[in-house]
Amino acid sequence: MKRFLFPKTLFLLISGIFFSAFAMAQTVVTGRVTDESSGEALPSVNIMVKGTSKGAVSDANGSYSIGLAANESVLVFSFTGYTTKEIDVTGRTQVDVTLLSAAASLSEVVVVGYGTQQKKDVTGAVASVKGTEVQNLPVSGVTQALQGRTAGVNVVRSGGSPGNAGSIRIRGTGTINNADPLVIIDGVPAGGLNSVNPNDIESIEILKDASASAIYGTRAANGVVIVTTKRGGFEQPSTISLNAYTGFSNALKTLDMLDAATLVELKRERYTNDGLPVNEVWNNADNAVQRTNWQKELFGTGKVNNADIAISGGGAKSSYMISGGYYDEKGLITNSFFRRVSLRVNSDHKVGKRLKIGESIQLTNSKDNSLNTLSAQDGIIWSAIRFMPFIPVKNADGTWGTSKASNEYGDINNPVFTANNTDASNINNRILGNLNAELEIIKGLKLKANFGLDANHYTGRNFSTIVTDQTRTTNNNSLGRNFSESYSLLGEYFLSYNKTFADLHRVDFVGGYTAQTFNGDWFSAAKRDFINEAMNQRFLDVGQTLGNIGGNRSYDALSSWFGRVNYDFDRKYLLTATFRADGSSKFAEGNKWGYFPAFSAGWRISEEKFFDNVGFIDELKLTGGWGQLGNQNIGGLQYLALISGGGRYSFDDNTVVGATQSRLPNYNISWETAEMTNIGLSIEMLKRTLQANFNYFIKTTRDMLLSPPTIGTVGTLGIPDQNVGILRNQGLEIDLTYRNSAGNFNYSFSGNASFIKNKVVKLYDGNYIGSVLYGRPLEEISRTYEGSPIAVFYGWKTDGLYQTQDDIDKDANITNDSRKTAGLIAPGDVRFLDLNNDGMINEQDRTILGSPHPKVVYGFNADFEYKGIDLSLFLLGNAGLSIFNADRMQGLDPTYSFNMYAEVADRWTGPNTSNTIPRMTTRRDNRNYRTSDMFIEKGDFLRLKNIVLGYTLPLNLTERAGISKLRVYVTGQNVFTFTKYSGLDPELGYSDGNKQINVDIAQYPQSRSWTFGVNVTF
Amino acid sequence: MKNKIIITGLFALLIISFNSCKKGFLNSPPYGQSTSADFWRNADDAIAASNALYSFLGDEYLFAHTEQTWDICSDDQWRAGDHPEDQAIEEFTYEPSNVQLNDSWSRKYEVISRANAVLINVPGIDMDQTLKNRILGEAYFIRGLIYWQFYKIYGQVPVITEADVINNDFNKPKASLDSMHQRIEEDFVKAADLLLLQNDAANTGRATKGAAWGYLAKFYVYRENWEKAIEYGNKVITGPYALAPSFGDNFTPATKNNPEMLFSIQCTEGWTENVTSIYSAPRPWGGWGFNEPIKDLEDEFETDDPRLTYTMAKIGDIIDIGGSSGPTEVYAGLTNTGYFFRKYVSWRPDGGLDNNMNIPLLRAADVYLLVAEAKIRSSQNGDAEINAVRDRNDLPDVENATMTELMHERRVELAGENERHLDLMRWNRAGIINLPAHYAIDRGPWKPGRTFVVPKNYLFPLPQRQIDLSNGTLVQNPDFD
Repeated sequence: MKRFLFPKTLFLLISGIFFSAFAMAQTVVTGRVTDESSGEALPSVNIMVKGTSKGAVSDANGSYSIGLAANESVLVFSFTGYTTKEIDVTGRTQVDVTLLSAAASLSEVVVVGYGTQQKKDVTGAVASVKGTEVQNLPVSGVTQALQGRTAGVNVVRSGGSPGNAGSIRIRGTGTINNADPLVIIDGVPAGGLNSVNPNDIESIEILKDASASAIYGTRAANGVVIVTTKRGGFEQPSTISLNAYTGFSNALKTLDMLDAATLVELKRERYTNDGLPVNEVWNNADNAVQRTNWQKELFGTGKVNNADIAISGGGAKSSYMISGGYYDEKGLITNSFFRRVSLRVNSDHKVGKRLKIGESIQLTNSKDNSLNTLSAQDGIIWSAIRFMPFIPVKNADGTWGTSKASNEYGDINNPVFTANNTDASNINNRILGNLNAELEIIKGLKLKANFGLDANHYTGRNFSTIVTDQTRTTNNNSLGRNFSESYSLLGEYFLSYNKTFADLHRVDFVGGYTAQTFNGDWFSAAKRDFINEAMNQRFLDVGQTLGNIGGNRSYDALSSWFGRVNYDFDRKYLLTATFRADGSSKFAEGNKWGYFPAFSAGWRISEEKFFDNVGFIDELKLTGGWGQLGNQNIGGLQYLALISGGGRYSFDDNTVVGATQSRLPNYNISWETAEMTNIGLSIEMLKRTLQANFNYFIKTTRDMLLSPPTIGTVGTLGIPDQNVGILRNQGLEIDLTYRNSAGNFNYSFSGNASFIKNKVVKLYDGNYIGSVLYGRPLEEISRTYEGSPIAVFYGWKTDGLYQTQDDIDKDANITNDSRKTAGLIAPGDVRFLDLNNDGMINEQDRTILGSPHPKVVYGFNADFEYKGIDLSLFLLGNAGLSIFNADRMQGLDPTYSFNMYAEVADRWTGPNTSNTIPRMTTRRDNRNYRTSDMFIEKGDFLRLKNIVLGYTLPLNLTERAGISKLRVYVTGQNVFTFTKYSGLDPELGYSDGNKQINVDIAQYPQSRSWTFGVNVTF
Repeated sequence: MKNKIIITGLFALLIISFNSCKKGFLNSPPYGQSTSADFWRNADDAIAASNALYSFLGDEYLFAHTEQTWDICSDDQWRAGDHPEDQAIEEFTYEPSNVQLNDSWSRKYEVISRANAVLINVPGIDMDQTLKNRILGEAYFIRGLIYWQFYKIYGQVPVITEADVINNDFNKPKASLDSMHQRIEEDFVKAADLLLLQNDAANTGRATKGAAWGYLAKFYVYRENWEKAIEYGNKVITGPYALAPSFGDNFTPATKNNPEMLFSIQCTEGWTENVTSIYSAPRPWGGWGFNEPIKDLEDEFETDDPRLTYTMAKIGDIIDIGGSSGPTEVYAGLTNTGYFFRKYVSWRPDGGLDNNMNIPLLRAADVYLLVAEAKIRSSQNGDAEINAVRDRNDLPDVENATMTELMHERRVELAGENERHLDLMRWNRAGIINLPAHYAIDRGPWKPGRTFVVPKNYLFPLPQRQIDLSNGTLVQNPDFD
């Protein structure tokens, strides 16, 4: 019924049995290792006898010699920067070997949607990141590790709290709407990347242009990230690898705030300048005593620990990879943490000759807490910056310091108390897995099926204690619990066929059907009035009064047909055509289906006859493509006018609940479409030591989906997403890599840069798109206008401060300004510019002040290796962008009852004392701290993101312990940053979806960390 | 054998794919939510929608705080608190970007939108006619109340009614002054027509005819239509809305819904929060310390007027703040001015602010004084109504009262209830007082002289954010461009 075994396996088996009888017999194999393209000798190549820990190293001439026992027949040649080669040496004693430089990577295979392609055949824009590049970095998830690794892929960090992944932006911000790319983990379209243990990753492919990603149609408008995890190989002996690291982190920086004595002086000055009696509390000498630097109290030392183990191997019919990992990060702030326990089992099986079955399962349990760190109203970082420096963390009697005594001390609760008192956590348990089958019907024609499951079970808890000693009190303690379950089922079936005709025409087809459902189900319950707040009493049973109970479910689905044809003629001319039809439950009947075509072509110029004479270029390929992609990353049911319950009220203490429309409907809501054109050039030259890729693209997003801030006359109900406009991103991406070696010294340098221009081509309603108003002053900062990039800064222009009354009297900007005649503008106030020349400063004088988008985002990587010592450096930079420092805007403002930035000590106190920091006053007549260019700063930075120094112990020392590799290393993260930016951290990210970017609202800053680790492979 | 496995597998795959192709696979049901198409089915839905008319009124950025900000302009109180933007409001230097303006704008329209939804959908529901009338009356009342508030603060605003909602026409210019008047009058008149005289115990706190009549009386006083003001005021006075035996009953949780309380925002401990209490209470006693009365207000009270103690706490008063503190003396430094509005604050016996306090919006006593004013200003005698208000405080009767007595009575009776600044502006328009001169008086450190510009400061500017978002449709009030 089954044919017995593969001939080669059979042969090995027989020879194994045969030779085992002569186990003592010993053969010596000798030979020379050279570079395949240059023919030069390769020294220091590791040569291992497969299945044993026995090894040798080639000498300066590339020569080697190794003894083989009778049952040993396969040698493995490996060398940094070169592709590993296995050779069966049975019956031979002289074996010369050539190794192919990994730089000659066009022979590499890349994972594309629903298949793989040889890199040299790829006509779309695809970037690959090897798993090794992202391993053992002290980050909670792979998203962070991707930052700066390849051109056109930007990872934007919105704060550095533990577990905060950041957002991936492929080729700029493609839409004002959700611009996250589609993430596919082992064939399953799955939300978060962060649950994957980075050490499990084999490779990450990023599909950047329409041609590459069109096979994912509707879901691919923002690009596709394909993560492939490690798998065992057939006929591979078991390998065990252990990784562990531990480290600590510290704050990169804290902001300088006024000390107590100076603060009291300035608070008094506010009143005296205004001719008002000084508030009594500022006459209290005790308030001039410096007691607390709140940021230092809040930002402690973080810790990170990671340990994981992976076992992989395989026999003739089955292979496996099993791994387990534990990651534990404690943030800088007390009580902030992220923990993940992960388990993975990947296996592959051959059932008969024509059927292959594979499986991947990932189980993760992660836990983090929910400190409020982002709010500019009462977030704890924002609070720590502003809390009064004379208030102690704790009073002498052990109670927490408080601002309760006076309105002059601000309405902030003690941030250290808040951090310690927070009892809130989130736990996620996720099962992500797939089962796939591949049946070869006839040679070249395969039927494939893939079933995926992504299930997440979330539980959250939040206990609020009674707080009476702080300014913001909580009268009743309460516990809220949330449970939610989401599961997504994927089913897909497709055919693949490839055939070569007449040795010239090669055709590769894949096509099929895929459907995915998304189910959500949740409930929550709360109780109040816990008589006892002890930690072991914080359970719902203990609460005396029932609070809110709620629950609901949701369902969405996608159903799609897809097909792709690759054709190449003589390996020189390459063509790809892709089509996908998508149906989505997000849209109403009639708008459900979208159709997305794409085409691309490639020309391998270096294969042409006329190119034979160009000796220094080894490979040259020109590609071009065009295609359309869809985006439906929006909330469901937006075409319905939903009525929701809620809204509590009572009639003479008889409690009731109201029902009201919760959202306006948009009956016409439809697909957002991204149209992309890509031109690419890839070159390998100088014996493949230098590799370069250039890509130019234009990406136009039409019918951009967005819920814009809307006129207040509609009320406060939810505004549905609307198809609001057209956005264009165009840019150039450059990747360069140089790899070479000199004797035992191997080195490589790689750099990448993306130059992307973002422009809103059209807003259908002709107006602008606003964004969230900032913090307490409700200042508007970012707007999106037609003809400008997304989320530019919008406000007033300034020209220093008025130094004298004469300056004010003569200033043409305020000739007709009523505030001038009313005497409300004084020397030491800001001179705003009257842009519309009406002699008044008003809202009509606002203009675009700057763009938050970097002109260039770049990364630079250098790796060195010498006799087991390895060093790698990774730098990351952004240039040509502005940051709006909103925290400073409020931090300088003396009208608030908060502490102020230390630089306020250098305020204006008389003519020519300052031209940048206004006078002290309690008045806001001139609105000195409105959104203006005073708070725009250059956001350029260059950061040494990672430095890794490692040492691999020589094999001859470790092999006695059965260890095939033992490496110890130290890693530094965010080691130093070159920037002129004055805030905590120039990596700011998003603060209102894509509608507000690079505005400093005192985000959780990133930290500098050092870790020490070890890898052991048996 | 192998072929069987394969065929079975293929068959299974086909079943699954057919399953996912079936009709409905791409339809997402709105679980647990109704749509406007399937909501308005019966009386229960109508009642739920009417509850939603009220549930937003006590929002911090609506009547619980923001709408109480405008009276810091008056001579009764200092803004206190720590909202720097309030200074500009108190000192008449506010600009269109002032935060308080935009905070409440869309929230008021949200309430209007809920009322419009009821007015559009409830008429078609097959239900008890009396209940239907009450609910429609509530919707007219609440909509009228919000437009009335808009009118007092901004003068003219876009008027959104049922037709605009149906036509999805929300970006409208400001209504003319006449349409503003017409809208308010019509809504309250219809409400008065449809509402019940009194609600049963389970519904106490819903709008009544009395509440609608009271607002109509006030509206006509503002419009100086004395005849109608008296007509509607008298409906309240002769209706089942007797003054409470004691002034203080209106500000005590146990008697919060006495008949005098024509309309108030209802609060219940553990269910809804009385944010006005938090704003009004002194910081060390669990509040945020806003809106502090000044000495000028204390001085306005006659000797032995018991209303003083209920209205405002002053240094030396003993107040039971519950818990371990119990009865505690108001000390110098507890608040800045030495006073706080007692009317809005009560403490639980076990400590902490008592959320069972209501937030009063309209009392019958106010209507008595409106009728008195209408009578005085139309050359009639208003003594009866003034004395009705004074009597329960054991104060001597007034005789042949003029506007002087009337103005005094309104100030002390309604102090802190957001009437004072509006009254003063009204009286200035009528030439009864000189408001710029009145506000120019220095009333001490917490109320220095201020410049009130006529007519500019009669109105607040429309929020700049709304003008920007309207793309040219909404035009700023005069003198704020």
